[in-house]
Amino acid sequence: MEPIIPGVVDLSRLQFAITALYHFMFVPLTLGLTFMLAAMETVYVVTGRQIYKDMTLFWGKLFGINFALGVATGITMEFEFGTNWSMYSRFFGDMFGTPLAIEGLMAFFMESTFVGLMFFGWDRLNRHTHLAITWLVALGSNLSALWILVANASMNLPQGAHFDPATMRMQFDSIVAVIFNPDAQAKFVHTSVAGYVSAAMLVMGISSFYLLRGQHRQFAARSFRMAALFGIISTVAVITLGDVLGRMVYEHQPTKIAAIEGLWHTTKPPFEPWVAFALPDDAKQENHFEIGVPFVVTPLVTHSFFTPITGMHELEEQAAPHIRSGIEAVTALKAWRDGGSADDLARFNAHKADMGYGFLAARHAPHNDVSSIPASKIEQVIVETEPDILPNVFVTFWSFRIMVFLSLLFFGLFAFASWASLKNRLERNRLLLKLCLWSIPLPILATEFGWITAEAGRQPWTVFNLLPTFLSASTHSFSYMVFSLAGFAILYSAFIAAELFLMFKYARLGPEDHTTHAGLAKPHNGDQFASVPAE
Amino acid sequence: MDSYALLKFFWAGILCVLLIGVGIMVGMDMGVGTLLRFVGRNDGERRTALNIIGPHWDGNQVWFILGGGAIFAAFPTLYATSFSVFYVVMIALLFSMILRPVAFEYRSKVDNRVWKASWDWVFLISGFLPMFIYGAAFGNVLEGVGYHFDWTGQYHQDQSFLLYLINPFAILCGILAVALSVYQGGTMLMLRAEEPIYGRARRYATLAGWISAALFALGGFWIRHTVGYVLNAGGDPGMVADPLHGQHVIRVSGGWLTHYANYPVLWIVPLAGIVCMITGPVFLRADRPTLAWWTGAGAWTATISAVGIAMFPFFMPCSTRPDESLTIWNSSASAYGLTCMLVVAAVFVPLILTYTSWCFYIMRGKVRTADVTHDSHSY
Amino acid sequence: MRLLSFAGLGLVLTVALLFAVFVGDQGPWYFAWVIGTVMIVLISGAGAILLDAQQEQTSLEEI
Repeated sequence: MEPIIPGVVDLSRLQFAITALYHFMFVPLTLGLTFMLAAMETVYVVTGRQIYKDMTLFWGKLFGINFALGVATGITMEFEFGTNWSMYSRFFGDMFGTPLAIEGLMAFFMESTFVGLMFFGWDRLNRHTHLAITWLVALGSNLSALWILVANASMNLPQGAHFDPATMRMQFDSIVAVIFNPDAQAKFVHTSVAGYVSAAMLVMGISSFYLLRGQHRQFAARSFRMAALFGIISTVAVITLGDVLGRMVYEHQPTKIAAIEGLWHTTKPPFEPWVAFALPDDAKQENHFEIGVPFVVTPLVTHSFFTPITGMHELEEQAAPHIRSGIEAVTALKAWRDGGSADDLARFNAHKADMGYGFLAARHAPHNDVSSIPASKIEQVIVETEPDILPNVFVTFWSFRIMVFLSLLFFGLFAFASWASLKNRLERNRLLLKLCLWSIPLPILATEFGWITAEAGRQPWTVFNLLPTFLSASTHSFSYMVFSLAGFAILYSAFIAAELFLMFKYARLGPEDHTTHAGLAKPHNGDQFASVPAE
Repeated sequence: MDSYALLKFFWAGILCVLLIGVGIMVGMDMGVGTLLRFVGRNDGERRTALNIIGPHWDGNQVWFILGGGAIFAAFPTLYATSFSVFYVVMIALLFSMILRPVAFEYRSKVDNRVWKASWDWVFLISGFLPMFIYGAAFGNVLEGVGYHFDWTGQYHQDQSFLLYLINPFAILCGILAVALSVYQGGTMLMLRAEEPIYGRARRYATLAGWISAALFALGGFWIRHTVGYVLNAGGDPGMVADPLHGQHVIRVSGGWLTHYANYPVLWIVPLAGIVCMITGPVFLRADRPTLAWWTGAGAWTATISAVGIAMFPFFMPCSTRPDESLTIWNSSASAYGLTCMLVVAAVFVPLILTYTSWCFYIMRGKVRTADVTHDSHSY
Repeated sequence: MRLLSFAGLGLVLTVALLFAVFVGDQGPWYFAWVIGTVMIVLISGAGAILLDAQQEQTSLEEI
């Protein structure tokens, strides 16, 4: 192994984090808006009322502005694994590339081909075919998310593959194990439904804007009602699935759950408090200003009252034998790869399970090569490696809390909004409308923090317990990274400025005029509800 | 040949098809982007040109995405190494690629001359540059790339990226790809536009056709005198997919023509390319754009197949340590992964071709400037 | 024609049933997503239609 330049790895991580978080601002809206459009168009086809077609067209236009950026920034993601994470891509290509390629074949092609027909095919397709196309776009965009999250789940909970020393790669064994990975299941539903919440909030917020101004009232009332109901069910689902996902993390990623809950020491059930507020100190490995709610954390995480959760100090202690055995594994592996004997291979196989910890120890070894650690220094390297198994606790702890507190806020807001809309009391509750308007960016913020929780909490690994992050990056020079980061910064800033400008412009313009005069009074083919009062 | 070797071979073939798909479909859209400022003299004409590919560019672009995904899944070592070795070029490609979807969606959404003119330049850059890089990458790979692996499988770069940028043969390949894409884009414009766009597109596409024929022939003569790579020993098709062990590669002047020398019947492929590139402009002169579109597709198919035959079984030869060259046999995924993907591809590729054709069928017919400017949903 | 649409419907139902049995067994949360999403879409659609009905029955114009 040639020495690794730490700064390059950090810059690669920074670039990936920026581009992924940026991409993820647009994806949740796409996931949700497509299904909201499908809902609106379904109502249009069932009732035949023009106003629902106008709704589909108007929200479809906002969807289009957002979709373009989602597609554009998605291209970056597809190539960044290869351009910046070569070791990871090679090591994990079977497991990660396959879902990505299936995503292209099964979902992205469908979504991208039909989105053109959805926008341009109104006059060329009959209503039912167009409705089917809209549903296919919605299905396609969510299936895309499914495969991406199946790939992501393999990084968090690798299953369905084994390591092959002859190729130095994970060899694929079972696609069923990959697709039905429990982490993938919970993650997909949680993420997809979080997208529904984001879209519902956007539609509800902009509708509130019209109601506050008394513009497009019928249009806004219907959009608001649909979004509020869409949002309340989705919020319930997102919270439920979040709990499921938490259990999954508890079972498979003890370091992540301990960091999320800020648990430095193993819990003492049942009294152990749930830390609602604290300032975790990664250097001193303790929490400052801790405020806890007693009796909560054990049932919350373990779904039982008496199971202790292992704390981070204990996890570090438990890691020591694994690190020692991992150093053995990697030393034997290197000897065998460099033309060693069958003995080396046997020695590797005996310690194979701990290989990842051996790679992790390379950071503290001379020239990043664990085989060159002198026997006298081994214990010292192990002690230095122990704290490396933990993620950044402050980031994981707080990103999780922000997400959770926001989701509880959404629950209250959508519940109130649904009630006010069903009772037709929206315009009396101007405060509610204002709250809805100002809450538009919050679900996107919550999904971003959810993403940070999941991925910051996975550290120090790219593939959990198998491949450390600092080994995964490409061996670029510093200047390459500066070049690409500067480029992304400039382009992405310009994009977000243009996107926001257009979103505001079209939201202010509102639905096109034929809603107001032709909308309710003239449904396009003999409608028994034609007597609804017009604006 | 055992089943693993057969799977690798299959996937190399599928990759070839995907690269051809990228050339034809993405190249066509990028050709329109490159030509936009030249075939459209005013806003209405430019919008017409954009709306001709408007309903399809997004679907077409997936060929490109899928190409990346298929390399990742089927040949992870190639994906990891090539994308990193060509970092600066790849990032430049990415920057120009991500500008394009945004340009389509945003250009006509604000009625301001500066705004629109800026996006028109973006179309030119995001049409020309990716196609140039696409072609130049083939040129670079043919010349060999400097890298080596350490025992973990991590690559290390041995050459500066400037060598890949300033390289006459790669520049020739880049211009060839741009010419083919402009030809295809111009032909597409002729299929669905009326005068005056039709006439202008014909002029540019004809010129691009002649240029591509000339460059392709020139490249063929050039390759006889460049250093090629030949598998000397080892490199068994069913080998363990590990680039560090198991093959011996030598560098030979004119080595890329070994297969053509051994099996002269293969010359049919590049000859078919030349024939397509020459007959294409003739069809254009005769106002037969449909036929010309298909000869353009034929030209892409023949060009990429000819390169594939020359390089077989190499993907990315290594100039500094030829024994670590990446081939079809030593850079592939596991047999199980390749099988899974094959099943998925067998189900979905026919489906994709069906619904893509259906979409083109639904949106067929001429696009008129008046329709575009009156429809608030058009680009 | 009618026979054909019956056959088509039968096929769709069979596929749906097989999907439900297999995915419901292997990936309960995937199955829940399918059912849940359809439910969310239908309920929000029903909410809009309810609004039409509410407006028709009362002369009030309040929203």
